[in-house]
Amino acid sequence: MPHLVLDKVSIHYDGQAAPAVERVSIDVAKGDFVVLVGRSGCGKTSLLNVAAGLVVPARGHATINGRPITAPGSDRAVVFQNDALFPWLSARENVAFALRLRGVRPAERARRADALLALVKLTDAGDKRIWELSGGMRQRVGLARALAAEPEFQLLDEPLGALDALTRERMQTTLLDLWTASDVGVLMVTHGIEEALVLATRIVVLAPGPGRVVQTFEPGFSRRYASGEAIRTIKADPAFAAARGELTDAIFEGEVA
Amino acid sequence: MTISSYTERPGHRNEEADGLSVPWSRPSPKRKGVSARAVSAVTILVVLAIWALSARLQLVSPVFLPSPLAVWNKFIVVARDGFVDATLLQHAVASLARVFAALVAAILIGVPVGLAIGISSVGRGIFDPLLEFLRPIPPLAYLPLVIIWFGIGEPSKILVIAIAMLAPVALSTASGVRGVSQERINAARSLGATRAQVVRHVIVPSALPSILTGLRIALGAGWSTLVAAELVAATRGLGFMIQSAAQFLVTDVVVMGILVIAAIAFVLEFAIRRIERVLVPWAGRE
Repeated sequence: MPHLVLDKVSIHYDGQAAPAVERVSIDVAKGDFVVLVGRSGCGKTSLLNVAAGLVVPARGHATINGRPITAPGSDRAVVFQNDALFPWLSARENVAFALRLRGVRPAERARRADALLALVKLTDAGDKRIWELSGGMRQRVGLARALAAEPEFQLLDEPLGALDALTRERMQTTLLDLWTASDVGVLMVTHGIEEALVLATRIVVLAPGPGRVVQTFEPGFSRRYASGEAIRTIKADPAFAAARGELTDAIFEGEVA
Repeated sequence: MTISSYTERPGHRNEEADGLSVPWSRPSPKRKGVSARAVSAVTILVVLAIWALSARLQLVSPVFLPSPLAVWNKFIVVARDGFVDATLLQHAVASLARVFAALVAAILIGVPVGLAIGISSVGRGIFDPLLEFLRPIPPLAYLPLVIIWFGIGEPSKILVIAIAMLAPVALSTASGVRGVSQERINAARSLGATRAQVVRHVIVPSALPSILTGLRIALGAGWSTLVAAELVAATRGLGFMIQSAAQFLVTDVVVMGILVIAAIAFVLEFAIRRIERVLVPWAGRE
């Protein structure tokens, strides 16, 4: 069973007196959708970057399937807030980027990229240039590009953060659909409380100064969506409102202001 | 043509893509009042009028300032019959061939050097001081040395122009490389790209707008080095034509030559901007 594990990880940036994150452990198994939430400065993006292999922890271990994480790898595809797409390539070529790196033939590349574009509901956008796409479409291309590498894990760094509220709502179901369809493990960072509740199988609440885990939730709403319940019914459920209250309290607990 | 512009990070690509527009003038086409283009046209007409008038009133001797009409007539004559054994077209082609040969050399050396400066600190340590040394030296200063080392043939002329072009190309490339977004590089790495693949598939295309800006600046620098390069032992070329004419006080050919050089520079600038629009249509739209 594939496992992405952060074990008692501390992160210390050069030139800073205090550690950014202290002794945080997170475990993502295949099929999990783990969401990190917390006020700014709690180190959630830093933790994601450790999992991505972009930041080296000062103490503790980061492993994937038992192997230590030392560098970025295509077994952990990252999607960033600013889509980080390549504007000199068409949408299709962006999606096919990982395949091109591996030397997959152009025809096969295009075929698989088109299949992924269909999966994120961008069937006709393959030939479009990146700057011709809306923010939501660009983020879909980013998701499809990450899936093309056939990763075991997806690391999502506020992927919906730059989108407007309506697009955000729709993209939440897209994320869930991709997650159920591809059966990867997801580790995601977000600011959105409702977003965390809708998406996560497990929510890890972090607090700043230094970043540490204060509480863990297992909301279970995403499983209900996966087994066919409509997203509106879920959000209208009194249990959802209750969970939102609890999560909000956990996030702002101990805050002075 | 300022040399400070390509040492900056290209944070605002759209401004850099249009070196003529200043940051504080908004490009809005709906602005009220007169357009800059109309003012430019009037300025040129006024300068022409003053020129024509002072020639007409003989304020200055025709040896020093021939009339616009005389210069135009000379243009026709030289284009048809030639001056010092070559037609205007042959002079222009000789000069253009030198500048383009130098441009190719400057690209072949300058782009890899710029990549090395931008990517590795060792590369920056090696090439940065060399370029900073080379950059401020006027071509006329190193021309004698180049002739001593490489003789008075064609290679020396091309080399003098290429040296003038090298720094703009290399430094623009380096600044383009330094401006590549870290997120883009991280995205490529997490998709499985090796270091070499990141350079080839992310850094070079990301730096392309900046590299093209460098080529544009380099063409300007090279073109303005032309006269110096054709000082010694040239038999053709616009710079050579001007100098020969000056020695015999054929001022109308001198003025005509200057205008032709200016016109060609204008056309080159226009052409490169067109090429930029085709090759890097995403510049300024990200």
